[in-house]
Amino acid sequence: MKKKITIDPVTRVEGHGRVTIHLDEYGKVEDSFFHIVEFRGFERFIQGHPYWEAPVLVQRLCGICPVSHHLAAAKAIDQLVGVDPEDLSPAAFKLRKLMHYGQIFQSHALHFFYLASPDLLFGMDAPVEKRNVLAVAVENKELARKGILMRKFGQEIIQAIAGKKIHGVAAVPGGVHKTFDPKEREYFLSGKDIPNIKTMIEWSLEIIEFIKGYHEKNRLLLDTFAAFPSGHLGMVDDFGNMELYHGKLRAIDSIGNITLPDVSTNDYQKYFLEGVERWSYMKFPYLKEIGREKGWNRVGPLARINICNAIPTPLAEKERQAFVSFTGKKVNNSTLYSHWARLIEILHCAEVMNDLLHDDEIMSDDLVREGKPRLEGIGIIEAPRGTLTHHYQVDEKGMITRCNLIVSTTHNNEAMNQAVKWVANNVISQKGTITDGMLNQVEVAIRAYDPCLSCATQALGQMPLKLELYNHTGQLIDERYKSN
Amino acid sequence: MNDINQTKKTLLIGIGNYGRADDALGWKFLDEFSTLSDLYDFEYRYQLQIEDAELVSKYEKVIFVDASHQHLEKGFSFYTCIPAPTSAFTTHQLNPETVLWLAGELFDDPPKGYVMAIGGIQWKLHFGLSNQAKRNFKNAIAYFKKEESSIA
Repeated sequence: MKKKITIDPVTRVEGHGRVTIHLDEYGKVEDSFFHIVEFRGFERFIQGHPYWEAPVLVQRLCGICPVSHHLAAAKAIDQLVGVDPEDLSPAAFKLRKLMHYGQIFQSHALHFFYLASPDLLFGMDAPVEKRNVLAVAVENKELARKGILMRKFGQEIIQAIAGKKIHGVAAVPGGVHKTFDPKEREYFLSGKDIPNIKTMIEWSLEIIEFIKGYHEKNRLLLDTFAAFPSGHLGMVDDFGNMELYHGKLRAIDSIGNITLPDVSTNDYQKYFLEGVERWSYMKFPYLKEIGREKGWNRVGPLARINICNAIPTPLAEKERQAFVSFTGKKVNNSTLYSHWARLIEILHCAEVMNDLLHDDEIMSDDLVREGKPRLEGIGIIEAPRGTLTHHYQVDEKGMITRCNLIVSTTHNNEAMNQAVKWVANNVISQKGTITDGMLNQVEVAIRAYDPCLSCATQALGQMPLKLELYNHTGQLIDERYKSN
Repeated sequence: MNDINQTKKTLLIGIGNYGRADDALGWKFLDEFSTLSDLYDFEYRYQLQIEDAELVSKYEKVIFVDASHQHLEKGFSFYTCIPAPTSAFTTHQLNPETVLWLAGELFDDPPKGYVMAIGGIQWKLHFGLSNQAKRNFKNAIAYFKKEESSIA
């Protein structure tokens, strides 16, 4: 009898998704899907609003990475007032960058310490009651404590610039509205009130040592688990180095051939299309020239490390070199290496924040620039989860007439589906009994991409998961729920 | 940056949302005492999160104020919060007991904790309390003002 397994909801990710795995009468996997079942619709209801509201309104689509949406929208809105990224005042550019790197730092800390670490510390087969951060707090207090304080540091950088940790406002058209003051800078540098930025760098190095140790013990798992060829997309600076706030788009294929050669973010429409599937609210972006089947790309930490020539901060670059040495500098297509890549980015963000906090320009009051208004603006940044695109068109009165958002998680849609297929085929297929540990491996594969499904589709939500098992006649024969 | 110039010993955390009718009870309670900022620090939350454990660990006392779906005899209930780990579906949203437990596990001794639960009946998108919630709110405020010296 055919069977359909349902995992609903997928846990320890942001938003709400469901996995279905279809088995034939011999228990062999016929197909599998990662369904995104929420819908939000920000692209539509931002229409008719004045352009200056976009950075404030659109960031509300997420509570984890609102800064990324705020800044991507702000970059687009800058263009609507005739200010390109290179025209921002140095102070505005650096303050935005400081907030952005603080955002990636706190988001990566949340993902690694709160969501991913239980799988690494306790194993994928650990009982469900152990697979959460509370168990980490009991068995590895130091790791949990540092995770909380690292997230706090990034959140407080955001609060210092935007007024609030979540849904604050920093950017205005053509710049920012607030500078840093000496007392705020002292707060992050002195170490009197909170562990300071030097400590953040030290802890970032420590956590990379942790993942290296994990890699040493589990190399085969990391090399093989949900490993499959794919393209990789991200942003680089003029020298091909990693850049997270503003740069050019670069993509490579699974063996390193350039498929998108450092193009201007303003030209993204020339290169990308988005596909749709009837079973998901999330779209499937791909490179036009290569096509839907092979033109999709992973984005996020692993992709960014794969595509860049170097990381422009010394400690993170040293760690990148150690990372790429394991594949002989070949493209790394193994899903679980995303965790290691994410931790290298945490270190990079800490180094960049350290540089910016020591830069007096963040206390300048030269904050806003003006230009000649335009009717179209495009803002692309590297958000924690990958390349994030905001594109707005306005009428002569400045009211938004069209909005297109390509959210990082959307780029990873195909990769997450491939990862689910890998687990279905290699772990679940023809195994008879389906254990909770097997189902958790489906989630581990998805979780490595740190998806934010609320961002990617615009729906209300937490991320419950459902696993369904269908027989060859399409009859539902087994299902598992993780309910809200 | 709560740590800057922190001198107060008691933290009031209001949990809720002005835009969800009676769910605003927790935040309105804090508003009512905002003139007493020399006595308390105030934090407004949609939900409690893991990092709140670090925040509360810096205080001697913490009072969590939240709306309650339950029928409460006096319209409110004020009780001691006993630290305890609780397993829930999501760790993005913790209860006060778990926050206090985490504070004790990871940081210094947990503060003494209390919960002020105030009964509500309406939770839809709406600004403003229901009449029932207004009465409960009034009773909770009166109780807290009367007992404040022994609590804070």
